[in-house]
Amino acid sequence: MKEKQQNLRLYIPVYSIAIAIYIFAGIIEPTFFTWNNNVNLFTRITPLIFAGMAQTFVILTGGIDLSIGSIIGLTNVLAASLPFIDKPLNIVMWIFIPPLVGLSMGLINGLIISKGGFPPLIVTLATGAIFQGITLFIMPIPGGSVSLSIARTVTGTMFKIPNSLIIFLIFLYIFHLILKRTEFGRSIYAIGGNEAIAYESGIPCSKVKIWVYGVSGLLGAFAGMFLSAWIFSADPLIGGPYILNSIAVAVISGTALSGGIGGVTGIIGGAYIFHLINNILNLLGISTFYQFVAKGLVLILALTISSSGITFNIRSILRTFFLKTKPIEKIGE
Amino acid sequence: MSTDIKNSRIANFILQQRVIILLFVLIIVMFIIGEIVSKGFLAYEHICAVLRTASFLGIVSIGQTIAILTGGIDLSVGPLITMGNVFTCMFINGLDSNTLWALVVIILLGAFFGFVSGLGVAYLKISPIVMTLAVGSLVTGITLIFSQGAPKGLASSILRYIGVGSLLNLFPVIILVWIVLSVFFILLLNSSTFGRKIYYIGANEKAAFLSGIKTNLVKTLAYSISGASAALAGALMAGYTQTAFLGIGNEYILWSIAAVVIGGTSLTGGRGGYFGTIAGAIILILLESILTVIRIPEAGRRIANGAIILILISIYYSQKRQKL
Repeated sequence: MKEKQQNLRLYIPVYSIAIAIYIFAGIIEPTFFTWNNNVNLFTRITPLIFAGMAQTFVILTGGIDLSIGSIIGLTNVLAASLPFIDKPLNIVMWIFIPPLVGLSMGLINGLIISKGGFPPLIVTLATGAIFQGITLFIMPIPGGSVSLSIARTVTGTMFKIPNSLIIFLIFLYIFHLILKRTEFGRSIYAIGGNEAIAYESGIPCSKVKIWVYGVSGLLGAFAGMFLSAWIFSADPLIGGPYILNSIAVAVISGTALSGGIGGVTGIIGGAYIFHLINNILNLLGISTFYQFVAKGLVLILALTISSSGITFNIRSILRTFFLKTKPIEKIGE
Repeated sequence: MSTDIKNSRIANFILQQRVIILLFVLIIVMFIIGEIVSKGFLAYEHICAVLRTASFLGIVSIGQTIAILTGGIDLSVGPLITMGNVFTCMFINGLDSNTLWALVVIILLGAFFGFVSGLGVAYLKISPIVMTLAVGSLVTGITLIFSQGAPKGLASSILRYIGVGSLLNLFPVIILVWIVLSVFFILLLNSSTFGRKIYYIGANEKAAFLSGIKTNLVKTLAYSISGASAALAGALMAGYTQTAFLGIGNEYILWSIAAVVIGGTSLTGGRGGYFGTIAGAIILILLESILTVIRIPEAGRRIANGAIILILISIYYSQKRQKL
């Protein structure tokens, strides 16, 4: 019960801001509420949701994955380079090869980080450069194609409900259960909270960390595959923006970069906030250049709110804003 | 007796500086490999060309080194370089008389955005990765708004002289600028109280705070220096490229971090220094140059960059483990 309350405290700000922005967008442009526009939105945010989930898993252990963009790019290119004629074998290959490659890329990251004891930031930076090099070897310029039936299934609708919505809801639920109900998931939180104590209490830290990066690579592969089905081809540099966007979405959705706090439940809200900012600026007819400013400001705002530990208790809000002397324990955190 | 002490001092020095010695040996080896694969690599002009390219990366990495030494990181250097580059050309517009004030304004602007990152990191305790990311996004937007997506203007002849000219037709001016800045910042880091405070904060922030160091102020200043150095590098690049280019800073985010890490500065802060970063910057540019000479495509160059970082960090960290 206590954990549920804690979760609510994490996710209420995300979803209330997302809903507020959504309503604001609808007021500016009434067609925003039409089902077609929403179907479009669901499809657009799906890759961001997968990338955000991938990053969340890593961040929960206190790490960071800067190679996620390259993994998305590589799997995107792979998915579009496979034979694309509608045959059962080709479809099976499309479904299994990119995730396996993504998983192994992630496992390589995890092995280097946990067996070598190197900082995740610089390792994933280096492996990201290597993965991107491999991607550019396979496909130096945008191209490739995807089986028509796959593209139709992934981006189509069923009884007016977009398949992308069903896909990301299923995956979110599965990975939410993995985090909250399995030993593996609980170990992730324990490692993020305090790795030394987690190790002392018998959690196989290095094994868990290797698999966390593996899961991150797998989710990155799903993002890359979805992108290939959606744009019906591939672009070796498509993953670039997802490095920073995935971190931003994870942070906005309530996951602490220090690790141990957060989850995947807030990610839909985070992805919505991030995507709707662009949408609203477009609707208002403001130059796309302002999107960067708006994204930066929203991110700073979200960070300020989350770092000041917002609650709905007026007394504690006042205390955080007016208390001059901070307890010493807080320094250096 | 005295020779013994002297010998042990030299041995001690070699032991302490082994990373930097290793790096400079690596640079010499790379130059020789370059000469083997392509004749003329060791020619004076070519060495100057490599160092000239490295000096831009070196200047960006000044700030990155200081930010990383405090235990943080600065991901806003890329957008700040682009901003410096674009705004310099806009302000100067080809006129020598505009150069000085434009450079001052650019450095102050860079310092201001670094200051904003520093405020968030130090006072609001926001993680430096996301804070500088957010500020970087802000800076990108501001650059695009003011240039309307199509940067205009030209560098002045003075700036062009700094960027591509040579002193007495012998020594590139930009390398001289780099040397002056390097000496200043190495002295600042090693011999001033401010520099020592940066190391203390990186080593143990809580202890630094409890021993009376204004940790938040020092950290904010560190990020301001980082912003200023990135913006200055962008302005100097305008002298090299002559016109502004919107994507100029993108590569430098990862490159500057790579240069600092290759240079042996610990990402957790408190250990390392700018001297190693100089070697790191030269190594990265040399590698790029050798691979270009032997016509390795973009893909291969990226793989080589990633591989060299992995190899070097595995060497550093295995050394550390032996000590433990």
